[in-house]
Amino acid sequence: MQVPEQRLLRIVVAAVLGSLGGILYARALDAPPVMNILLGAVYGVVFASLFARRATTPGAGLLWGLAFALALWLIIPANLMPMFAGTMRQAGMLDAARAAFPALVAYLLCFGLPLGVGAGTLQAFFARATEENPSIMNKATRFSLPRALVTGGSAGIVGGWAFGEWMRQVDFYPLVAGLVSSTSPMIGKTLHFTIAVVIGATFGLLFQRDVRGFGSSLCWGVGYGIFWWFLGAMTLLPVLRGEAVDWSYTRGGELFGSFVGHVIYGLVIGLIYAIANRLWVVFFYESDPLNREPSGVGERNLRALAWGAAASMTGGLLFSIVMYETGALPNVASIVGGTSYALGFGLHLVISALIGMSYGVLFRREAPDAGAGVAWGLVYGLVWWFLGHLTLFPVLLGRQFTWTIEAANLGLPSLIGHLTYGAATAVVFMLFERRHGAWLALDPRLAAREARLQRPAGTPAPALWFFLLTLGVLLPIILG
Amino acid sequence: MNKYLRRAIIGVIAGAAGGVALAYTFDNPAVGFSLGVLFGAIYGVAFAAPSRADADGILTAASLGVPLWALINVVALPLLAGELPRWTAAGMRAQFPTLVGWTLYGIILGLLAQAFGDLAMRVFGAEREPLVPAPEVKTRIVILGGGFAGVTCAEYLERAFGADASVEMTLVSETNALLFTPMLAEVAASSLEATHISTPLRSTLRRTRVVRGRVIGCDLSARQVRLASDTRMPVSPTNHKDADTAAHADDHLLSYDHLVLALGAVSNYLGMKNVEQTAFDFKSLADAIRIRNHVIDCFERADAETNAQARRALVTFVIAGGGYAGAELAGGLNDFARGMLALYPNIPPEEVKVVLVHSRERILPEMSAGLADYALRHMEERGVTFELQTRLTDARPGAVTLNSGEEIETETLVWTAGTAPNPLLQTLPVERDKRGAAVVDGTLAVPGHAGVWALGDCAQVPDAKTGQPCPPTAQFALREAKTLAGNIHAQVHGRPLKAFHFDSLGQLCVVGHQTACAEIKGLKFSGFFAWLMWRGIYLGKLPGLERKVRVLVDWIIEVFFPRDIVQTIDTDTHRKDLGTPGDEARAEEMHRMSEAQGAYAGS
Repeated sequence: MQVPEQRLLRIVVAAVLGSLGGILYARALDAPPVMNILLGAVYGVVFASLFARRATTPGAGLLWGLAFALALWLIIPANLMPMFAGTMRQAGMLDAARAAFPALVAYLLCFGLPLGVGAGTLQAFFARATEENPSIMNKATRFSLPRALVTGGSAGIVGGWAFGEWMRQVDFYPLVAGLVSSTSPMIGKTLHFTIAVVIGATFGLLFQRDVRGFGSSLCWGVGYGIFWWFLGAMTLLPVLRGEAVDWSYTRGGELFGSFVGHVIYGLVIGLIYAIANRLWVVFFYESDPLNREPSGVGERNLRALAWGAAASMTGGLLFSIVMYETGALPNVASIVGGTSYALGFGLHLVISALIGMSYGVLFRREAPDAGAGVAWGLVYGLVWWFLGHLTLFPVLLGRQFTWTIEAANLGLPSLIGHLTYGAATAVVFMLFERRHGAWLALDPRLAAREARLQRPAGTPAPALWFFLLTLGVLLPIILG
Repeated sequence: MNKYLRRAIIGVIAGAAGGVALAYTFDNPAVGFSLGVLFGAIYGVAFAAPSRADADGILTAASLGVPLWALINVVALPLLAGELPRWTAAGMRAQFPTLVGWTLYGIILGLLAQAFGDLAMRVFGAEREPLVPAPEVKTRIVILGGGFAGVTCAEYLERAFGADASVEMTLVSETNALLFTPMLAEVAASSLEATHISTPLRSTLRRTRVVRGRVIGCDLSARQVRLASDTRMPVSPTNHKDADTAAHADDHLLSYDHLVLALGAVSNYLGMKNVEQTAFDFKSLADAIRIRNHVIDCFERADAETNAQARRALVTFVIAGGGYAGAELAGGLNDFARGMLALYPNIPPEEVKVVLVHSRERILPEMSAGLADYALRHMEERGVTFELQTRLTDARPGAVTLNSGEEIETETLVWTAGTAPNPLLQTLPVERDKRGAAVVDGTLAVPGHAGVWALGDCAQVPDAKTGQPCPPTAQFALREAKTLAGNIHAQVHGRPLKAFHFDSLGQLCVVGHQTACAEIKGLKFSGFFAWLMWRGIYLGKLPGLERKVRVLVDWIIEVFFPRDIVQTIDTDTHRKDLGTPGDEARAEEMHRMSEAQGAYAGS
């Protein structure tokens, strides 16, 4: 099929999928069907024109689709509709957005999901028709079904275990057991792990081509976890239990703990998947002398650790201003039984350095430019707000972590600090990488190898950044 | 049009359009709009939009809207208004409209910047990149020698000059790897795999051109180095031309602006030709491999030997020289030889002898007398025989002669008793000391020859504080390399040079199984603890993580398994052993085998 024909087919398929999404939307929110079918078709055409070219696989398509749907929601149901209806002036923008929260869930599931996966599947089909036989050298980058299932499934089990701790704490297992008309926590636990394995395996199937390093995989996992909060906790669970689906922001607020759990679950899935996937690739492909890197893994990681630690000092110092202003430093000191600002500051810098080192190892070669560097840093900062502030920090203080909206409310100043820390660390780390890259550029072979290992343009990374950063900041504000 | 101006204009227009969304959500619309224009210009200049990357542009800019909101509305504007940042839950919820505003702003900015960028591409063509000429090589630094001094100097030069493409660095070495000499005795004693103590130069040096070759002369007035014709030299714009115009068509010439002489030292047989012809050197990796193979070969032959006298000669190993190299080798070989005995039932243990011949009254003259005595006693207890205050005067196949007139029947003589600076220095018009080392000033420059520097074993380096010549050890060579690299960098940039000074840290010497002597900053250690120090310090100093891991694994294996006695093919065509009749034929046969296997025949 020629390129113009492919483009036309993409637009037609997207319009049809958008229309079908419009039908679903109208049914779910009891909205006028004709207008939503038409709106869906228009969304489909816009998506096909602007985004579909980037949706090269179903997984990439899913992310582009979700980000597209979120942007649409921000523009149309959260702004234009209440503005034209005159409700925004009466209730204010925040309340208008809260009122439009069901539309957010519906936009993601009825428009973003089908448009993205559909476009990605179609594009993958086109690509498959023209794909040439791979050489032994690029086998590692080719899709492998066993690798996706085994590594993704293993990651799902570990992620399920991490999420299961919260489920046990809030007695969530009987609720899950309700899916098979039971109230037994054991059945609930079994079901939970089965679902976790399925989600992990689908993570591998959808994103194997796009995740590159540990850090990007971790972020992909968080994005996928959030998606499953909308699809699973807010939608499928009540449907399968035979209950009415409630997409209101108050229900979202009640399920905020589950939201954080999904973030942590996705984070663990992404990270474990990346590690298992890496081991697989190293064992089966990179150990082949034809594919060997000139410098060993230890050397590269040591360098990244050092850069990360050095880069984190900038971010750590900026973050410490927020901590000082909000009086959080004595809290940090209490991790080791102290109360002083100085001890808190010292401990904060140590923690900053450790997280910076992890950033170095996880996000090497992910940022081809400053914008990408800042975006990855912001996402990593956001992830650490969920993981560090809401989860590990209470545990280190000897308390039980509470993934409640109240806890999130109290932690919002820290969110600003985490974002600042991530952005600053990422920028300085990128400067180190560039400096090293300038050395490598003196040798064309090394320069070519570095270019090959850098994240290329065209992956759904921008969609992921937008989806994570916007929802990660928006939801704690809206749902509170 | 300048590309940055073009991008800024596009950014301003797109930012102004997005600024409408900001103005709508800000309390003060003018501030919102102005910020939109400002960040639009910054975004336009900073992020070049690749053609038709609509999706990427929209969502990247929209993502950056969130941190801009946090920075501007939550922190900066309240601070400018003399208030506290609005980062409480209530404060941030009050700022929710501006969060939406910044996100919408990002979407519009990304979309329009991309669209206008694509339009500008169609109308005005691609952005004009200012023609940046390829950086001209202005400074050529040639380092002769791939030992500690040369390689460390190259590493420091790489650090000093960074990615400065106007400086070209070339290192000429006869081998393609840096040998970690402190562990050489362990290779000869089959404790470590040979290649594990050598680090490839090509993976160690990141931007220095490595030329494996042999230097046969330097023309200091023409600033050229001549390499032997068998040298394979990579083509480079700066040396290719020289090679074409070479006076000697078969040789290669390297031109330089700065020449670093780090040629090291060679064995000095003090004019004893017979000794030179029959003894093993102990300087290179090949020497260590050769000694190990030879020792195993002697045991194989001794096991089949029925003549007791001939057998004794086969398992008698003489080491000349009781410095660090000789003592460590004697201790290592003694452990190796006696450890092998269990596998050679026809060799009586009392016939195995390791003899260390030393001209002074005590071994290890660089160490304190107490530690040297400890080392001697320990080695004697383990079976090493010492001939102190004794010189080797002659050698012939099957025996060596001492100055006392005594003759020791042996098939193995290893020479560690003397070294001399590389003989190439004799051909250069530079001042030399009585050892033959190039005399340099405090900055390591060779007087009278601008741009010529020397360091390490081949140089006599005065200490800036004491004025005394520094000892020719690796410890000093490493520090000299740092000073020298800094001085070349300083001279290239017109900055003042620094004089060399270094206080020795101390000495370490391993003298047998889990036993060593150490003298660190005046503190003396011996026995097991000193041995742990020796291993810890040298493992840390061994270049490259990969080599460290390999050596560590070798050491762990050695704890549980006996040393390897597998013989490898000796590829050396000029093998020197005190062989019995028939050895020449065997050597030829080995040579034929190695040629048949295409093995490299050494440089």
